[in-house]
Amino acid sequence: MEQNSLVAAVDKALVKKWIAENGSDASAAVPLLQAVQNEYGYLPREAMDIIVSETDISASQLFGVATFYSQFRLDPVGRHVIKVCHGTACHVSGADRLNTALRQSLGITEEEEDTASNGSYTIEDVACIGCCSLAPVMVIGEETFGNLKGADAQRSLKKHARQHGEFLPGHEEKKGEADATQKKAPDKKKKEVRQ
Amino acid sequence: MSAQPVKPLTVIVGEGTCGIAAGAKEVFNTFRTLVPDAEMKTVGCVGMCHQEVMVEIIDGRGDAFLYGKVDKKNIPSILGFHQGRGELLSDHLIRSGTQMDGADYLTRQTRIVLRNVGRIDPKSLEEYRKRDGYRAIEKILKDNISPEKVIDEIRTAGIRGRGGAGFPTAVKWNFARSAEGEEKYLICNGDEGDPGAFMDRSLLEGDPHSVLEGMLIAAYAIGASRGYAYIRAEYPLAVEHFGKAIEDAREAGLLGKNILGYSFDFDVKIKQGAGAFVCGEETALIASIEGNRGMPRIRPPFPAIKGLFGKPTIINNVETLANLPWIIENSGAAYAGIGTEQSRGTKVFALAGTVKRGGLVEVPMGMTIRQVLYDIGGGSSTGRPIKAVQLGGPSGGCIPESLFDTPIEYEALNATGAIMGSGGMVVMDAKSCMVDIARYFLEFTQIESCGKCTFCRIGTLRMKELLTRICDGEGTMDDIDTLEEVAYQVKASSLCGLGQTAPNPVLTTLKYFRDEYVAHVEKKRCPAGVCKGLITHTIMPESCTGCSICERYCPVDAITGIVKKPESWVIDKKLCINCGMCVEVCNSDAIRVE
Repeated sequence: MEQNSLVAAVDKALVKKWIAENGSDASAAVPLLQAVQNEYGYLPREAMDIIVSETDISASQLFGVATFYSQFRLDPVGRHVIKVCHGTACHVSGADRLNTALRQSLGITEEEEDTASNGSYTIEDVACIGCCSLAPVMVIGEETFGNLKGADAQRSLKKHARQHGEFLPGHEEKKGEADATQKKAPDKKKKEVRQ
Repeated sequence: MSAQPVKPLTVIVGEGTCGIAAGAKEVFNTFRTLVPDAEMKTVGCVGMCHQEVMVEIIDGRGDAFLYGKVDKKNIPSILGFHQGRGELLSDHLIRSGTQMDGADYLTRQTRIVLRNVGRIDPKSLEEYRKRDGYRAIEKILKDNISPEKVIDEIRTAGIRGRGGAGFPTAVKWNFARSAEGEEKYLICNGDEGDPGAFMDRSLLEGDPHSVLEGMLIAAYAIGASRGYAYIRAEYPLAVEHFGKAIEDAREAGLLGKNILGYSFDFDVKIKQGAGAFVCGEETALIASIEGNRGMPRIRPPFPAIKGLFGKPTIINNVETLANLPWIIENSGAAYAGIGTEQSRGTKVFALAGTVKRGGLVEVPMGMTIRQVLYDIGGGSSTGRPIKAVQLGGPSGGCIPESLFDTPIEYEALNATGAIMGSGGMVVMDAKSCMVDIARYFLEFTQIESCGKCTFCRIGTLRMKELLTRICDGEGTMDDIDTLEEVAYQVKASSLCGLGQTAPNPVLTTLKYFRDEYVAHVEKKRCPAGVCKGLITHTIMPESCTGCSICERYCPVDAITGIVKKPESWVIDKKLCINCGMCVEVCNSDAIRVE
């Protein structure tokens, strides 16, 4: 695993800025952790230590909160997070199959692992995201994909990877080829913004 | 060239989360490119999720055309008609002018809560005001209607909490009104954690001002000057739209000090949830806002007496709040005229699963489940008959077809063992295994159990283990009895609503679908073909074309054979994990699941 490369370098000034915005009493614990996770994708130990030393929140309370809510994670994530919905409607329409298919594409074999070895994508199971009529559903970054079969999920992932200059594990040797498409991708993005 | 319409077209695109998921942004951009002079607007979700992406076009004469299932490819044809060249794309037309084609879906509903959703731009305060928005709170303040009178009006309306438990709203308010203390809080509960329910998301996204106005009315009635909107972090668009609504309202003098010039102060802050189902429970939600682990506590004292930061606090559900402006404007008696004796008004359901027309539906209380599923939902989407409907998510239960004539009322639904719940309605056919559904929900509640009380913490785990054993084909008849006994114990002895209702999925499936449990145990067979431990996948050479697509998609390389030689293809049962990928990709239906 190249997990180490995913460990975030924490900017102390930024954490202090969030504290200034959210306050330093106990009720700021959740919003502070949310700010940290929004920035780094997970809760780096260093950032939590800063919060504990700069606010009235105790280490036990902060870690208690961080481990209670399912949104928070203490391990680094890949550069992109794939959220697979496991709401009721998605469950009955085969959401498990999306996990199997995505794990296959990302070469994740160990049951306890959820991040591709090259640090590109992390698969996360979420409770309902509220698009039940499009079940089964997954979200990559900000983009939602619905009515998926396992193979569709793999196709959408490949397309996403192409657009974002990522490589699925085992496909790195095609780097040169993908670089060419990568050049196209930013253009497309710019165009969308302009529209 | 034929004459162009004088006025440019107006193009309205539905951009709720589901619309966006179906490609609404791309549709919006395509329209903008193809008709640069059109007036482009976005609205929330109208609730016809099965028709996404939805686009309404108002032509130069002011006639409106509503299209469904619009994608990039059919936009030129749609535009062709409106620009005077080409035929009307009738396959995609849902409604034009006053004509409704195949839109029983909407006509059979009674839209009070969803009155504006999908019709107004949720980011525009002005559009909400044009549809009589903020008139209710204005009326209260201008006519100097006392808080007691407001509570009386809500009592006449007879509205009960829409979050699931159905406690009468006026009674709850009265507790807080008469509670001592200068400082009181109002909390909007938007922690819609039930998998399968999304009406709160749709409301916050599609008509945030009606929820905010509801909060103003409630705050006035109980005497609160500060409020929180607790919204799930999984709903970024809802947070964004509600945040914009708060800002705009504050700027317009509808929030803050001396609202509309009267001596009434109220302001709202958004708190984002962090992914904990138990936080839908009032005392857990309060703990979460206070910055703690979201663990419930024993009641009394009830939050109405001692809640957030120890102050009297009322927590109302999003849907309950969105009803309030309508009630004040149209009178409590008008609201009470809808629905039944015990359950007044309407209820919004999120219809999903194997049903033709899924989406958000708002129906008068008293309508039967069958009417919702068939008259509005259009029946089964798979051709196979509907077997059951799951109501109320992890706290609810599965209602069998034989009870579909049950009216939608709090008491009648409770009698079936399910609950009204927050409004998730997931339709299931013969391909859904009831034991698997029970296991699915118990897995959910077991993870979400906060761990404070033993019955819930250990009981849900034991139930999950027993269900997993049965699903794996290792269960015994004794296990079924033990499961039932544990379920009753957990229901009777848990601290909060989560544990008290967690056994419902088990108890209802045991009550109505016991034969499926028995088949898993005695015949080692999953009748629906779902439980992985009890099924096998086999390639049938008579249907196989030898195309090898299944081999490519098999994640465990269990499939081997020679291309174009159907009889050579086999699945190694030792390697197969029964994931079903091959079934999905097979073009010739050649894989048998049994």
